[in-house]
Amino acid sequence: MPRNPTAAASESAVARAETRRRWSLALPALTVITLCSILPLGVMVAYSFMEAGQYGNVQWGFSLEGWRAVFLDRDFFDDSYIPATAHLTILARSILLALATTALTFVFGIPTAWFIATRPPATRAYWMFLITVPFWTNLLVRTIAIQEVIRADGTLNRLLLATGLIDEPLQMMFTNGAVLVGMTYVYLPLMVLPVYAAIEKFDFRLAEAAYDLHASRLYCLRRVVLPLMWPGIVAGSILVFIPALGAYVTPRLMGGGRAMMWGNLIDLQFGQGRNWPLGAALSITLTLVVVGAMVWYARRAAKGDATNG
Amino acid sequence: MLDIRSLSKKFGSGDSAFQALKSIDITIEEGEFFTLLGPSGCGKTTLLRLIAGFEQPSGGQLVLDGKDIATIPPNHRPVNTVFQSYALFPHMTVAQNVAFGLEARGTNPAEIAPRVDEILEIVQMAHLRDRKSSQMSGGQQQRVALARALAPRPRILLLDEPLSALDLKLRKQMQFELKRLQRELGLTFIFVTHDQDEALTMSDRIAVMDGGTLQQVADPRTLYDHPANRFVAEFIGEANFLSGTVAGGKLSLSGQAPVPLPHGADASGPVTVMIRPEQVVVGSAGGNAVTLDGQIEALVFSGTDTHVTLRLENGDTLSLRAPNNSHATTTFAEGEPLRVALPVDALRLLPEDIANAA
Repeated sequence: MPRNPTAAASESAVARAETRRRWSLALPALTVITLCSILPLGVMVAYSFMEAGQYGNVQWGFSLEGWRAVFLDRDFFDDSYIPATAHLTILARSILLALATTALTFVFGIPTAWFIATRPPATRAYWMFLITVPFWTNLLVRTIAIQEVIRADGTLNRLLLATGLIDEPLQMMFTNGAVLVGMTYVYLPLMVLPVYAAIEKFDFRLAEAAYDLHASRLYCLRRVVLPLMWPGIVAGSILVFIPALGAYVTPRLMGGGRAMMWGNLIDLQFGQGRNWPLGAALSITLTLVVVGAMVWYARRAAKGDATNG
Repeated sequence: MLDIRSLSKKFGSGDSAFQALKSIDITIEEGEFFTLLGPSGCGKTTLLRLIAGFEQPSGGQLVLDGKDIATIPPNHRPVNTVFQSYALFPHMTVAQNVAFGLEARGTNPAEIAPRVDEILEIVQMAHLRDRKSSQMSGGQQQRVALARALAPRPRILLLDEPLSALDLKLRKQMQFELKRLQRELGLTFIFVTHDQDEALTMSDRIAVMDGGTLQQVADPRTLYDHPANRFVAEFIGEANFLSGTVAGGKLSLSGQAPVPLPHGADASGPVTVMIRPEQVVVGSAGGNAVTLDGQIEALVFSGTDTHVTLRLENGDTLSLRAPNNSHATTTFAEGEPLRVALPVDALRLLPEDIANAA
């Protein structure tokens, strides 16, 4: 039967109405994304290309000074450009500390999640409650609590001194190690929760099947358990790595001025440094590093999927 | 040959202890299709898990080819299992699933691919070798589970109710195929089921279990014709139970004239007598038979025969199958009297079994 032109017209009218309906349903989400994500990011991008005001803020006018200062310093004596090694050191430290934090939360988080997921269902809620308790506490309070443990006259040192293991207090505060301890403590639940969800979904009959099929425990872990837990591990790693890379409160309190991270550097430009364009450029740089890492990971995962499947 | 010697399994301890298996003795022959049959909770799955190695026995031995394997962990036992839930690895393809057992055992990689192809050919799944298990039907998953368990060439294949998740038609087809496969491979199968039809049609021998003990181990015909006790008689097929007395080598049933004991039977005092519904003869029978009168309580036409429930004069009920090959059954009507005969050689004298008397 030939298509009726009026039927076709009404069909496309229906399609248009459907499109309108979908857009209107998406509108609240689009509004929130625009106001809370795209707009602020746009402001930051714009600021990074402006001139610094004398007392903070920005002055209208295009300038690359902010971006120049991210990578290059002006020599004190002859005004020639030299690489901004201090910034690069801080960036490298931020990436390494964020990676180390992810690794440590993995090392402590996997057994924790495994422990909780293998409890009887009735007691799991209790353990999950304990894991989420820190979320109810202010980040500042939590960080000061961990500071109390490791500072020179803190709990740990007093304990070690009392047992005679050491003669004088260990200086642990304001080091990379202190920042790492603090961040691991703060971000651990972000690793435990998604990994727990993955383990809880795991069908332990599969492990039994692997065991029946001549797999050793280690082989079963590598070929069956880990691949099926992988999405949870990836989610946990991303959830820890991204905020750890931009961490600001914990490095400030645990690392002081000696173990500064990228977040503190940004803070400095908007505060004492009164260099908003540089601060904005540093922020955008961080965002680009994170996006770059995610794209790299997604590509690699897609490739891995293609070869496995 | 697998020799199960006084094998027992107790779960828990103290007051909450549960004796899942009580001293089981079975010898399973080479190349045998051996079925563990029983209601849920009878211990059949526990026995299978002991053979697979997932559970440790509380006592006894599991002797395979002259060696006690009871303490060997599952991954080092030459047995593989087809699980009730299939337990296929969801992140792997069909071929990867099948290769798993070979790879885990460290088989030479050059030998794995041909073996996977061969086994997928046998279960007719070669065309789906690159599918993931989530993209397959229940029947297909079942074949893959079978292929995966067969690939490492086990000495014994364990099957834990593998057909229970399939619909009736597919189940019948898979029963036939499993039996054919078992014959062709000449492999020992130990098959767990609660379905007596499945057990009767597939098995060389069946172990009927209840309450953690063996009730009878025999071939399907013997189980049906000569059940060892009331539990077996009731669990396999349908059965009528009547009470009688043996005195002076003669059997009296429901107050009828004493008849000689069935061939080979030996008893005295009160006995339980069993007869299969299809052995009951309508009218009177020649030779030695007990004649009983009753009233037809229910009639069910089922094509080849008519199922009759008869209320006997002493109040007991007796069910029988009257073949529809004559016009006799057309005259049956509910409430009408009917005379039936129980041929003596179809009667089975069962030991009084207190545990199952209820």
